[in-house]
Amino acid sequence: MRLRGSKTYIMKSQRLLFVGIIAVAALFVGGLLLVRNFVPGANPTVTVTLLYSTEKEDWLKSMVPQFEASSFGRVNGHPIKVEMKKLGSREVYLSVLNGEEKPDIISPASMLQIAILEDESRKKFGTPLVTVADRNLCKPVVSTPLVFVGWRERVDTLWPSGPGPDAWKKLQTAMMDQRGWSAFGKPEWGYLKFSHTNPLLSNSGFQAIVLMAYDQTRKTSGLSSADILANKDFQTWFQGMEGNITQFGSSTGDMMKEMVTYGPSRFDMLALYESVAIEQATNAKNRYGDLRVYYPPATLVSDHPFCVLNASWVNTEHRDAAISFTNYLLGRPAQEAALLNHGFRPTSREVPLDQAGSPFIKFADLGLKIGLPPEVQLPPGDVLSTLLDFWTRTTKN
Amino acid sequence: MKKFQFATIALALLTACSNSGGATGTRTAPTSANTVKVTVIYGSEKKDWLEPQVVKFNAARLKTVAGTTVVVEATAMGSVESADGILKGDLQPTVWSPASSIYIPVANLEWRKKNTSDLVDGKVNDLVLSPVVIAMWKPMAEALGWPAKQLGWADIARLSTAGKGWDTYGYPEWGAFKFGHTHPFFSNSGVTAMLAMAYAGSGKQRGLTLDDVANPATRKFVESVQSSVIHYGSSTGFFGDRMFDRGPSYLSAAVLYENLIVAQEDKRIKGQSAQLPVVAIYPQEGTFWANNPYAVLNAPWVTKDQRDGAAVFEKFLLDRPQQLAALEFGWRPADPAIGLSAPLDADHGVDTTQPKTVLEVPTADVIQATQSLWKTAKKPVDVTVVLDISGSMQGARIASARQSLQQFIGLLDDRDRLRVVLFSTTAKELSPLTALGPKRDELLRRVGGIIEGGDTRLFDTVLETYKALAKDGDPRNIRALVVLTDGEDNQSNPASKAELTRISDARGGEGGSSIKIFTIAYGTEAPTKALQEIAEPSGGKQYSSNPANIRSIYSEIATFF
Repeated sequence: MRLRGSKTYIMKSQRLLFVGIIAVAALFVGGLLLVRNFVPGANPTVTVTLLYSTEKEDWLKSMVPQFEASSFGRVNGHPIKVEMKKLGSREVYLSVLNGEEKPDIISPASMLQIAILEDESRKKFGTPLVTVADRNLCKPVVSTPLVFVGWRERVDTLWPSGPGPDAWKKLQTAMMDQRGWSAFGKPEWGYLKFSHTNPLLSNSGFQAIVLMAYDQTRKTSGLSSADILANKDFQTWFQGMEGNITQFGSSTGDMMKEMVTYGPSRFDMLALYESVAIEQATNAKNRYGDLRVYYPPATLVSDHPFCVLNASWVNTEHRDAAISFTNYLLGRPAQEAALLNHGFRPTSREVPLDQAGSPFIKFADLGLKIGLPPEVQLPPGDVLSTLLDFWTRTTKN
Repeated sequence: MKKFQFATIALALLTACSNSGGATGTRTAPTSANTVKVTVIYGSEKKDWLEPQVVKFNAARLKTVAGTTVVVEATAMGSVESADGILKGDLQPTVWSPASSIYIPVANLEWRKKNTSDLVDGKVNDLVLSPVVIAMWKPMAEALGWPAKQLGWADIARLSTAGKGWDTYGYPEWGAFKFGHTHPFFSNSGVTAMLAMAYAGSGKQRGLTLDDVANPATRKFVESVQSSVIHYGSSTGFFGDRMFDRGPSYLSAAVLYENLIVAQEDKRIKGQSAQLPVVAIYPQEGTFWANNPYAVLNAPWVTKDQRDGAAVFEKFLLDRPQQLAALEFGWRPADPAIGLSAPLDADHGVDTTQPKTVLEVPTADVIQATQSLWKTAKKPVDVTVVLDISGSMQGARIASARQSLQQFIGLLDDRDRLRVVLFSTTAKELSPLTALGPKRDELLRRVGGIIEGGDTRLFDTVLETYKALAKDGDPRNIRALVVLTDGEDNQSNPASKAELTRISDARGGEGGSSIKIFTIAYGTEAPTKALQEIAEPSGGKQYSSNPANIRSIYSEIATFF
């Protein structure tokens, strides 16, 4: 018989107590985990809302489920859910500025829109909603240049030696010519149908008119409002070009899709992103044949920033979840998918453009080039506003 | 405005169709408390594809995000007439899917006269695509130089005004060139045909203006093409059926959608049609696309539940299986990932490298001006109305017969020529075959005073008036005989009906240009079968009617001319 006061008894009882505490703690933690996993609402999801430009739709739609299932897809132990809404790039920043949308992250096509939002929100709220220079919260994720995409037979008729330094000039002359393709001995092609998106709604159209302005002022940097407002030659030229476009698209992706769905009867050539041309390359072949990418004499690159908003509705947990999502998109799997499946140029240097399976190899006959023409300088916001206003007055949009 | 006169017709037609169980069927499915009904009014040319999809969708019991089961009820109707019905508020669908987007700006323009926003706003997705083409019998197209030569509206105008018709091209046995397109106040293809003619007449491919439409050269060109039109019609699907059922002696060519040619050729290849092959002519001047937009209406009668339900149905229609099914019916899928493969091929009369170019869609006011141009440039009609005033017509019958005839007179133009013959035991001419303009008011007054009495001398009267129209009518005009009766013939020579059937058969010498007989069996005692036997061979149509729907019957007849 053992006595309660004996040393052995005391030691054993202490051990039992210790084991018991550990067991209870383990049960508690295990139970907690069980509850979190199986009881709805016990481990609340952190929902990150994203407002993004349309041309990234397919890539993001394929990435979100993978992100949510990955180790990146948790913040403070909570699962992250990404809710997305697509809009034109200009609508992305305008809807945030006007308070119509309250997302955690925005991703227009270009840092250009982020710069405008930074400026406008500072004026409106005193504190900017985004900061271009903050590379923790605002990161370019993928990029793509503005290019011409056209039906090979037609573009080669317009530019037999490719789009040389006078590409825009030749295009505008052909657009102005009321004989249309008859002037090239091809009356059956009708009038020349070049177009781009509406710059008031979409970044690629905005970029197209910036390139035209630079081309006609023979500059690659320092475009000024005076170049637009005090230059009659430019104004006449610009009106000749834009006034003869019969239909502007509202989104880049939709416009490219329309080109492939309807074929050459609808558009001969468009100015839009290399990535959307790549995305539709196979479809084009199966429907109407030989589509080709042509690089303009100078271009602009869309860098697709992901910027977490500095807004009252974005709390620390949302911000951390948003950063985690952005980091996932910058990781190798997502970057490779962006290149291989969607034609974007990766930001990550770990993903080379000329790797096996890359569209730059696979669609070589599409006219894709890894090296880009020189890039023009993005004009400041007031110059861009002047150009947009002038475009609005010039066209039948 | 004339347009709204046609809006009235549109609504009357809808009533007629639903009453008679006509070609424009309605697909319904049972609903319950946890369901939302989405009503869709769509262009009739996609009926063969859409109807089975509606059945499949309703069977799948798909739900909105909120968990409500979506049930779709879809009705086929001419695109312009459905627009007019919606604008009046009498048609209140959740979704409007006309044949093309061309008429949407016109609908928005009219809608904004009473509302602060557009009827159709935001981005609208296309369901399926098909270019507007000129369907022509292959041997006839070859006679014109096809396929080596790309044909266009200029060829149609030249052929229409060539005095000797097909003889000009060395084929006297084919007779006159007989052309057709739908009524531009009812159907999208009729509007696009008129726009294409206006463009061709003005020598433009973009930027059509009101001045262009008013230009005498444009009018002359349109009149040239119209001179070969045998009659019009309320829907493109109807025109396709007419052409493919009746063959080249009835119609040489008609403005249709490419998919209808594929469907016909598919039947011919499978031995279900004995007609000659037919091919699509893609007008070299350019054409338009039927893009079948799916527009969820921005209208007060559309609820959020319906909007959500409409989105579920839209997604279903754009999903790959349904898009692949569209390809089988000759449509070019809206999904760019689906290639243009068989049956979209030369064996089925079409060329997917075409069209090479499109015409720019003009502004709403120019579209309306082009519709108005048609009203004055189209072929006039020489029409004889033969009205039964026998004793059995007493009461509501004669009252509604009077009113509906007055309404019919209102649908005719001043330059149309109208004869009215009343018959009972004998026949009396109420008004001779003269231009309606100068006598319109007097005739309306006389019709208002028609009284009934006597027996029914039907076939003798119809035979006499047919012969008179053949003699007095201008063969360059559309010629039609409209007969309304409510009882069995008890006075005519028994041989009259047989003679009438023989001489009015459109398979005879004049083919599609022959006099069309439209018969209205008024009430249950009318000789429906006999009336059908004289109407259908002529290229006309037989209708069963009653005092409640007689106005809509007259309205539908008016869409032929």
